[in-house]
Amino acid sequence: MELRQPSSAEEAVGLLGNGHVALAGGTEIVPLLRDGLLRADALIDIRRAVPRGIHGTTIGAGTTLAELEVDPGIPVVLREACRLAASPQLRAMGSIGGNLLQATRCWYWRLDFPCYLHGGDRCHAKDGRHDEHAIFGNDVCASAHPSDVAAALLALGTMLRTTARELPLAELYRLPTTDDPQTTTLADDELILELEVPIPEASVYLKAMDRQRWSFPIVGVAAARTAGEVRLGLAGVAPVPWTLTSVDDLDRATPLPGTAYKLPIARALVARALRAVATG
Amino acid sequence: MNGHRYAVDVPVGTSLAAVLRDELGLTGTKVACNEGHCGACTVQVDGVPRLSCITLVHTVEGEVTTIEGLRDHPLVESFVRADATQCGFCTPGQIVSAAALVAVSPAPTRDEIRHGMAGNLCRCGTYPKIEEAILHWRD
Ligand SMILES: Cc1cc2nc3c(=O)[nH]c(=O)nc-3n(C[C@H](O)[C@H](O)[C@H](O)COP(=O)(O)OP(=O)(O)OC[C@H]3O[C@@H](n4cnc5c(N)ncnc54)[C@H](O)[C@@H]3O)c2cc1C
Ligand code: SF4
Ligand code: FES
Ligand code: FES
Repeated sequence: MELRQPSSAEEAVGLLGNGHVALAGGTEIVPLLRDGLLRADALIDIRRAVPRGIHGTTIGAGTTLAELEVDPGIPVVLREACRLAASPQLRAMGSIGGNLLQATRCWYWRLDFPCYLHGGDRCHAKDGRHDEHAIFGNDVCASAHPSDVAAALLALGTMLRTTARELPLAELYRLPTTDDPQTTTLADDELILELEVPIPEASVYLKAMDRQRWSFPIVGVAAARTAGEVRLGLAGVAPVPWTLTSVDDLDRATPLPGTAYKLPIARALVARALRAVATG
Repeated sequence: MNGHRYAVDVPVGTSLAAVLRDELGLTGTKVACNEGHCGACTVQVDGVPRLSCITLVHTVEGEVTTIEGLRDHPLVESFVRADATQCGFCTPGQIVSAAALVAVSPAPTRDEIRHGMAGNLCRCGTYPKIEEAILHWRD
């Protein structure tokens, strides 16, 4: 394997694709390479090619979760999502861009079972153990997207700037289908450069975990009120970060036998989050 | 690293932990999960704790401090005084994380300790004593 360290986004884009994979903090990619879940002929270290740091409402995709966690200019919902994500060491290493692109934690996928997401013809989780899995969008793949950060950014109405386009964060994601297992719309040679994060009037992040710290979300609920309008983003409930357009969306959940317990948790956290951001 | 310079020749993809242990013989840094979960392999890069098992050595830029470099840190004594070790496998990583914490916050509260030390698991369950050791590290 080769390592390249381009110094600009243009140079990086020219190197990416065809088995050349972007590497930021490596917290996700290094374990995937080691487990043979990802193959790369070359790693393209993008840390000099992607902006890092916070300038007003613009966040460089290379900014670490640790940097966001302590910045007083960052909306509470995002700071709290970062503070409650992963562990101190991982937050010091992991970038916000990489966090948005993390792979599923479904144990069948991680153990290389030939499921839909690996190009196979079934979901092993639905027939097997799936208590950490989805309650929405689980027709094909039933995995639960683990990004606290993406839920917060959805609630804030974040826009992304990539090397190819500008898009609302929601458009970065797609539900996998039986003939296309992709969960994002990012091209192989496209880099996320910056995030544009509106400042809300009020915001909150609530995370149910199986222990108080250092755990993936069972359910994470982000709420933000911006220009009088409240938006909700959820983590741990669908194969991609999930938006609720209203509380009634919870009635349209499709829980599995093993994930039914998540629905009352989601209801309770949504109710609490809405109270927390309600106008005074 | 730890105030010294070393030249090593390893293939791309090699972790910092593997270089420490197998190339340099610095076996104080432990590898337990080897996938970023447990914190046993924690080292500092420019004072910031990182997981050496999932850090590719070719991407490290800065001064690496391992448990061997913290031999004389008062935390070592305070871990002994508080009896904060059982099997001891997690202890090097605990001390490396704790040293980074007290460098930034010399009088940490219990809550700061719990937040800052959350990435270091101890399967023997010495957490209360680790908390005591860090609270009283300068005594
Ligand atoms: C054990 C563990 C526990 C975790 N717990 C949580 C949690 O509770 N909540 C949570 O939200 N997250 C959690 N995470 C996720 C963690 O925050 C991410 O792994 C981290 O932020 C990824 O960033 P990175 O820079 O290390 O990415 P890398 O590992 O370097 O890259 C990840 C992916 O993103 C791509 N990539 C990275 N940056 C860019 C970019 N700018 N443009 C295009 N592609 C890019 C890479 O090619 C790769 O596919 C956890 C991770 C681990 C390993
Ligand atoms: S939930 Fe998704 S990732 Fe897990 S086995 Fe089913 S298809 Fe694969
Ligand atoms: S050995 Fe590195 S985190 Fe467990
Ligand atoms: S003392 Fe045994 S793992 Fe911590």
